[in-house]
Amino acid sequence: MSSPTSSGPGSSGPVAAVERVVETHGGSLARVAMLAVFAFLWVPIAVLVFMSFAAGGVLSFPPEELTLRWYVEFLGNDTAIDAIVTTLQVSVPTTVITVVLATLIAYAVDRYVFPGRNALQLLATLPIVVPLVVTGIALVLFFGLIRPLIVVNGYPAVVIAHVIRTIPFATLVIIPTFLTFDRGLEEASKDLGADELQTFLRVTLPNVFPGIVAGGLLAFTLSFNEFVFTYFVKDSATTTLPVYIWNQIRYNVTPEVNVISVVFLLVAVTLVLVAVSLTRVDLLARN
Amino acid sequence: MGTETEARTPSGSSTRLTELVDFFRTRPRLKKFAIAGPPYGVLVAFFALPLLAMLVISFQEGQINGPWTLSNYTDFLGSATYLTVVWRTFLVTVQVTVLVTVVGYTLAYSIVRFSRRTTLLLLLVILPFWTSYIIRMYAWINILQSGGVLDSTLQLVGLPAVGLLYTQPAVMIGFTYVWLPLAVLPFYASLTNMDADLIEAAKDLGAGPIKTFFTVTLPMTKNGVITGVILVFIPTFGSFITPRLLGGTNNIMIGMVIENQFKSAFNWPFGAAIGIVISAVVVALLVAGARSGGNLFGGGERDRS
Repeated sequence: MSSPTSSGPGSSGPVAAVERVVETHGGSLARVAMLAVFAFLWVPIAVLVFMSFAAGGVLSFPPEELTLRWYVEFLGNDTAIDAIVTTLQVSVPTTVITVVLATLIAYAVDRYVFPGRNALQLLATLPIVVPLVVTGIALVLFFGLIRPLIVVNGYPAVVIAHVIRTIPFATLVIIPTFLTFDRGLEEASKDLGADELQTFLRVTLPNVFPGIVAGGLLAFTLSFNEFVFTYFVKDSATTTLPVYIWNQIRYNVTPEVNVISVVFLLVAVTLVLVAVSLTRVDLLARN
Repeated sequence: MGTETEARTPSGSSTRLTELVDFFRTRPRLKKFAIAGPPYGVLVAFFALPLLAMLVISFQEGQINGPWTLSNYTDFLGSATYLTVVWRTFLVTVQVTVLVTVVGYTLAYSIVRFSRRTTLLLLLVILPFWTSYIIRMYAWINILQSGGVLDSTLQLVGLPAVGLLYTQPAVMIGFTYVWLPLAVLPFYASLTNMDADLIEAAKDLGAGPIKTFFTVTLPMTKNGVITGVILVFIPTFGSFITPRLLGGTNNIMIGMVIENQFKSAFNWPFGAAIGIVISAVVVALLVAGARSGGNLFGGGERDRS
């Protein structure tokens, strides 16, 4: 990384030539690079969408003819539909629980000084830092360990795991909306005679709501896609869509997987577009 | 947002809620507890305690509540086979991290400096990230398998097929693909947050674009770079999906060993011990990275002035 910088002002022969090339063609080089990376990011998705219409199925490319057959087959496949229903049964409660908890964290961190405030923020962020497989097995072991006291398995275990997975992301999106909210508005509301509850419901909440919805949408999308935690924690009855696909890919690939991919893509595109319209894209990047 | 005036309107049905609010207002400590308590409880109960449980169980023999032992650790750390897997995992992870950082930073830099439609381009970057990880791996299986999309395309232009699936390059491609969007976001955020006037200043003082990049832009965005590196390094080190689906049996990574202990061998304490070891490695590297990261770029800048 540091080698180009170490060439001091004295050695300006070839370095200066390269500098001139970058100076004059920098924009074009950047556009070529962008094009290449965007192709890398989108060609695989285009291939999936394209293959979902291919009559021959997975192995034939380019396909000989196009068909909706796999879509029809997918709609008639009860196991796949069950997997989607199961996924929603996990994702929706996960999103609600995560949004409530993340909002409480954001509110507490923004408003109060209390012992353990930093620890709370750290705890809410750490699940990103610990490798997924480690947290996943830790949850399995923990549920195993407490089994003599209380049985947590299958569906509740999966929801709990998803909440832990999604809290950091929702919190990271929701906290900035609290921090940037102008608290003078609350003061004004109280000066005008509103009580604390009215102020919260009519002033605070409408202002932070877009951030909360964005956090919720991201939590939902994460939960909808979540595999590692689910894979370790689930019982055989709780097969979510990513787990179903994992089994399909590993044991008997059918072209139907392409169709499911398109479903995933549509869900993701819709939700992310809504989330982005409610918040700034780069908020998702804050740490 | 103009809601101040509406706030006066009495909301009749919420008297009981008002009572509740009044109850907490007169008890500020209880109120803090009511707000911070639930998330605290959930995170401690289902994140901190499970990690603690994993540590405890890693010292048990063969099963949960088995006799106490160090053998899980000695078996793991004393085995050349396992250590080779850890080393290979580390090498792959470093290569992936470098690749993603270079490609991702180039992309973020190009978007920030040379494009006006930044929101659209950023959307194009993050959308693939929000489709299922498994699906994205499956897309690459389609492309890389022998006779797949890549091979068909190569043959169309008269080149020999390569059949990349189940090779190390396939694993690298898969990882780069899934982590690129994740890394671009912090790179992008730090590039947009940096003061663009500094770049102008460097140019006015006679620095070319490359020199400006390495003495001004890169040091100014080092926090974003470190964040991106962390976000790529950790999940790669612990991954089992990508090496299993794209790497086959020749490219085993340590995450696969853990998965195997839980899903096939059913030696949970041994799997827990490996989990503890790789967590320790990750934490150590994070601490080292955060420290040397500061010197690597910040120190270089100071030398020059």
